[in-house]
Amino acid sequence: MGNTLAIAKKELRIYFTTATSYVLLTAFAAITAYFFVVLVGAYAAQTTQFMGMQAQQMLERMNFNDQVILPLFFNIYVFFLILLPMVTMRLIAEEKRTKTMQLLMTTPVRPIEIVLGKYIAASTLIFVMLAITMVYPLILQIYGASTGDAAPIDWATVLCGYLGMFLLGAAVIAFGLFASSVTDSQIVAVLVSFAVLILFWMIGWAGYGQQGFVADLTANLSLINHLESFTRGILKVSDLVYYVSVIALGLFLTHRAVEAERWN
Amino acid sequence: MIEVRELTKRYRDLVAVDRVSFNVTKGEIVGFLGLNGAGKSTTMKVVTGYIPATTGTAKVAGFDVFEEPMEVKRRIGYLPEIVPIYPDLTVTEYLDFVASIKGVAKKAKKGEIERVLEKAQLKDVRERLTGNLSKGFQQRCGIAQALLGNPPVLILDEPTSGLDPQQQRNVRELIQALAAEHTIMLSTHNLAEVEQICKRAIIIHRGKLAADDLVQNLISRYKTPERTPNFYEVFDTMLNDLDRQATPAANTAVRAA
Repeated sequence: MGNTLAIAKKELRIYFTTATSYVLLTAFAAITAYFFVVLVGAYAAQTTQFMGMQAQQMLERMNFNDQVILPLFFNIYVFFLILLPMVTMRLIAEEKRTKTMQLLMTTPVRPIEIVLGKYIAASTLIFVMLAITMVYPLILQIYGASTGDAAPIDWATVLCGYLGMFLLGAAVIAFGLFASSVTDSQIVAVLVSFAVLILFWMIGWAGYGQQGFVADLTANLSLINHLESFTRGILKVSDLVYYVSVIALGLFLTHRAVEAERWN
Repeated sequence: MIEVRELTKRYRDLVAVDRVSFNVTKGEIVGFLGLNGAGKSTTMKVVTGYIPATTGTAKVAGFDVFEEPMEVKRRIGYLPEIVPIYPDLTVTEYLDFVASIKGVAKKAKKGEIERVLEKAQLKDVRERLTGNLSKGFQQRCGIAQALLGNPPVLILDEPTSGLDPQQQRNVRELIQALAAEHTIMLSTHNLAEVEQICKRAIIIHRGKLAADDLVQNLISRYKTPERTPNFYEVFDTMLNDLDRQATPAANTAVRAA
């Protein structure tokens, strides 16, 4: 446990003393902020339109959760997924390239501790990425309160969506870590993780128009389909099991790859 | 402290180390010599538990490196040939990290880092990024890292490479001072260094053990009434002899000529 934390601490130190993570966080914040502004603008325009039409029924149906946060989630996760391979590409490939792996493997550290330490560090970074975007619902909470007597947003739904996105990210970085563990080139690591990520992102589409087993299989394998209910505030065991299994599989494969390092 | 028996390491078709056996007893400084590619680093990697042997065994402090790798790793300070530094960490951060993974107790860590900074003469650069240091300082970071936790066995792969003559002398003095409480196995290409600090030399040639004797004995083997050769000449002659024995055809050719 001590070793795991020492490795996590070292990785976080490197993340936050080099420019990489700051560039990553800034890019992510800037892009998501743009979408937030656009969505809030659209919401305001629509509200004004309904007010002009005196469409009371329509106005009552307007709410931040459905009109701003849900579409915002879908924009956030796209950029989130695109940035994730960059979070993990360095983690093990760099240790192999600079031969620091030799140091880790000749000190009393077990391979599982190396894998978990690095995974914890990467999870912390994606947690920070998502935490930054929490500022958007917070803005709605503070400045959106005048629209009615009810609370401007439903936080339970928002947090459930965030849990889903965190699990999605955690699943992707588990595979990113594996990609980083099979090569000593960061470029190869990033390409492999993109390939795997895009395959499991799009696999759900392959099932469109199909029926029965194929449709079920592709839909259930898709990384994204399992996010859907989270963003609507529904916590399904099957979705949780999916993400947790992908994480476990990714970490297991990484462990095997690190262990195999010495047998080369 | 170090016991190597019939150690063989094969990389696919290439036999890097071929049935090598030797012992290093407590408190000894042994020079581990050979040309590039002779199998020195490979042997060291097996002894430190980084890679497994194809056949044969290696024991450190009585623990088999394959059966009980954790026990072995706890007792070894290893300086690999390529110094394992993280360029984005400062010297202190780096040593702090290595101390943690070597299991130095939290309370003792600060004192231990100060101790190795002192020994490796790194105090002036302690807050610099290791990636920005010169080769000599990086090499010393590698030595400092090996000393953390005060392990009884030190395995140093070319500890003085990349150092200027003055730093080389400092490192030699450091190694000699460490010999009192450590068992040291070091590889080097600087044969004058071997004469100065190692009592015993193990020479590996083309993966095979070529000699394992006191440096003094090796020199007297090639002594003539006229002159005593230096260790460099001894080493050279020995390897030439071995090459000649290995290729009898060439040998006859020479004789015929």
